[in-house]
Amino acid sequence: MSPDPAPGADPAPEGMTLARAGDLPLKGRDEPSSWGRRLLIAAVLIWFAALILIPGAALVRQAFAKGWQPLASALAEPAVRRAFVMSLGITLVATVVNTVFGIAMALVLVRQRFFGRTLIDGVVDMPFAVSPIVAGLMLIVLYGPDSPVGGWLESRGFQVIYALPGMVLATMFVTVPFVVRELVPILRELGEEYEQAAHTLGAGRWRTFWSVTLPSIRWGVAYGVTLTVARCLGEFGAVLVVSGNVIGHTQTATLYIAEGIDSFHPEGAYAASLVLAAASFLLLVGMDLVRHRLEGAREVEP
Amino acid sequence: MEAGTAARRRARPELALRGASLTYLGVMVVLPMLAMAWQAFRPGPAAFWAAVTEPYAWHALKLTFVTAFIMVFVGAVTGTATAWVLVRYEFPGRNLVNALIDLPFAVPTVVTGVMLVALYGPQSVVGAIMGKAGWKVIYDQPGIILALLFVTYPFVIRSVQPVLLSLDRAEEEAAATLGAGPWTTFFRITLPTLWPSILTGSALSFSRALGEYGSVVMVAGNQPLLTKTAPIYIFGEIESGNRHGALAVSAVLLGSSLLILVALNALQRRGEVRDVA
Amino acid sequence: MEIRPARPAARLGLPALALFVSAVAGCGGEAAPKEDSLKLGAYSVVREVFHDGIIPAFSKHWKEKTGREPVFEESYNASGAQARSISSGFDADVAALSHSGDMELLVKAGKVAPTWKDGPYKGILTNSLVVVGHREGNPKGIKDWSDLARPGVGVLYPDPKTSGGARWNINAIYGSAFLDAKAKDAANPDLGPVRDLLAKVQANVVNMDQSGRQSMANFSKSQNGDAVVTYENELLLRAKEGDPIPYVVPPATLLIESPVAIVGPSVEKHGNKALVDAFVEFLTSAEAQKIFVEFGFRPVNPEARDAVTGRPEPAKVFTTDDLGGWAKLEEELYSTNGLWTTIAAQAVQNRGK
Repeated sequence: MSPDPAPGADPAPEGMTLARAGDLPLKGRDEPSSWGRRLLIAAVLIWFAALILIPGAALVRQAFAKGWQPLASALAEPAVRRAFVMSLGITLVATVVNTVFGIAMALVLVRQRFFGRTLIDGVVDMPFAVSPIVAGLMLIVLYGPDSPVGGWLESRGFQVIYALPGMVLATMFVTVPFVVRELVPILRELGEEYEQAAHTLGAGRWRTFWSVTLPSIRWGVAYGVTLTVARCLGEFGAVLVVSGNVIGHTQTATLYIAEGIDSFHPEGAYAASLVLAAASFLLLVGMDLVRHRLEGAREVEP
Repeated sequence: MEAGTAARRRARPELALRGASLTYLGVMVVLPMLAMAWQAFRPGPAAFWAAVTEPYAWHALKLTFVTAFIMVFVGAVTGTATAWVLVRYEFPGRNLVNALIDLPFAVPTVVTGVMLVALYGPQSVVGAIMGKAGWKVIYDQPGIILALLFVTYPFVIRSVQPVLLSLDRAEEEAAATLGAGPWTTFFRITLPTLWPSILTGSALSFSRALGEYGSVVMVAGNQPLLTKTAPIYIFGEIESGNRHGALAVSAVLLGSSLLILVALNALQRRGEVRDVA
Repeated sequence: MEIRPARPAARLGLPALALFVSAVAGCGGEAAPKEDSLKLGAYSVVREVFHDGIIPAFSKHWKEKTGREPVFEESYNASGAQARSISSGFDADVAALSHSGDMELLVKAGKVAPTWKDGPYKGILTNSLVVVGHREGNPKGIKDWSDLARPGVGVLYPDPKTSGGARWNINAIYGSAFLDAKAKDAANPDLGPVRDLLAKVQANVVNMDQSGRQSMANFSKSQNGDAVVTYENELLLRAKEGDPIPYVVPPATLLIESPVAIVGPSVEKHGNKALVDAFVEFLTSAEAQKIFVEFGFRPVNPEARDAVTGRPEPAKVFTTDDLGGWAKLEEELYSTNGLWTTIAAQAVQNRGK
């Protein structure tokens, strides 16, 4: 944990560490022999293993307990493929909308002063504190076929609840906080100096946003998007309540998984959850790679 | 913010941005919450109070908050340590660990529960050893905390990590040059900078813990007055037709987590003001 | 330049949102002619028998009769959740639920006609028995409900708050003791032993899962507990799928009667009355009932009774009507001051000691 007293001793300068493709940028220059460091790494790794790695490995093992067959046959079913398409579509819409909204909301929360800001800041996190099933119920109360709004929409042939729009709404509700939460501390840490400088130099607001603000928060945005995508793919409770769970129509991958576990054919379900987890995993790794490309390029530029 | 004139010049688009984001928040989040609060309070405050102080509901609420607080404390320490190790140190498997951090979000919580029972349940090797030592994890209160720690694992790490990455290390190095030990440097220089992001991550974990259902229901045991948390209570009451009881408890969960989050935000802002001063 | 920042705001507007949503909805929607498609809203337990047995058999008939292929949209969910969905507007044409209590919810919501019980089988689709699954060789010697009350026997049944199955299970335990008490003193049965039995069994419960299926998975996959209280058909289905769990039928047990009904407003909306009527009629035909038997149920149609072979018969079978009806049981057992509710609290206090 100790910052190195003699920075020159580090064999690899920071810039080079950053440029090494495929790596998380490394900000440490600590002596390799520090005991405190080793202990800390060991503790973190043991914790990680007990909490994440071993359950994850168990999932992989269970998924392949009967070989590739269940995975292949599960994925070959049209209803399952459709469930994955549903999940991906919902995820796409919810992520795009919540990312745009999240950036706007974070900017408003950090850069603007207005009455009730602290309250709003708290309200953003509310979707997490609501049990998903209650969230789903409230959507039914608001937009269900028997509610005024839902009835009006339905009479015009637009079904919200027990159809895709409701599922998108439920997913969006659950993932509202991620991007906002990732960005607020970064924006705070960043301060307003650069933006004001750009403004003073005559850049328009839009340009300032694109060329000053966004580049400095992009990794925060990226993390937020990753979390949103992962949570969208994994969302269960709220979607279950509003979907009707019709196989091949309004069944998402997660609902399929829950049904699989409930119907004693968990291999297919485990396999499907592995696919979901792998999708998120690839997204994250992919984003990391892109980042290194970009950061590496930036290091070379000057 | 001394840019008073600049702010005034920018006022209109800013208002538009604010209006749009607040509208979205209003439609997406506030409206469903109001619908819930309305339904919870409609039968009158007395009925609301009765529904919340009903022994089963009250115990469920208490249990939820206690387990959430313990989880947040453990999660904040381990999360910060993990983020620190990932950002500052090189070790084999670092990129793998970093990539797997988000796994808890990607795995459906039902599956999480099944995995945890399989690994740490009474019939597993680990569970049997712990059982001999007299510890019961799965189907008891520690199981709830375990499940919550799993599902909230990424929050603190993912909010501390970017701040650590963008942290300017000059101050730390200066402190070290001036003879400060590693712990002093960490607590006096690094931690104050990380503090807001740790709080953010913890606040998110906390909210999530209050609402978590899928994984907890598999590992908690769900005995009323013992291991039944509020979300499980809520689900059970909805399923058995007591919607009002369920919504009243949800309203309490929501209200208290809102209070806690607003307080946390105020705390953060105080820190921010102090930094500026 | 100056107005541009408003653009993300415009993008966030609801019209745009609706566009997004409908665009995706458009990709997903597929148009089967409504009169040839049927939406089934059922409880989880009948998933296998409907999906793999009943629906293929009926489709064959329908095709022979009309020359058209019927399209089934199947939704399986916990019985209570399914009832809630349908009562708040999920447009299933046929509702198959775990117990009549859930069906009454649909009647109250105006989705099912109050006359649903009028048919020859009183609206019931399948029967089954509440039984006890045990470990290989029955090491704990489980034969009757009272064996579940012995110290050191780990019991699994789901949470009656979330699972209709759990209510059947607990009603069976309650009913056996209650009928004993009633046999001794019909006018004024002594509830002491009833309460005692329920409390002792509850104290042995390892985990109250959210559904019967999860309870069984807990028993067979995670190897938790010594006994699992469940439906006979669930255990027979396990055996059919190559994962047999040995079981005993207690000497006096409860007959599970699971209802089916047509959801009027949905049929009106879809205009598929001919198909729905034919389907519901088929469900209680000898052919369909034999399929149910094949998947472990007991038939309501006497013509299919011969198909039941090699199953242990209990000395005495009682029904919920013998115990005063489903609504009365709900009130007496599961309301806030109900027998089971207060026992669950007691069990916790005892455990604390």
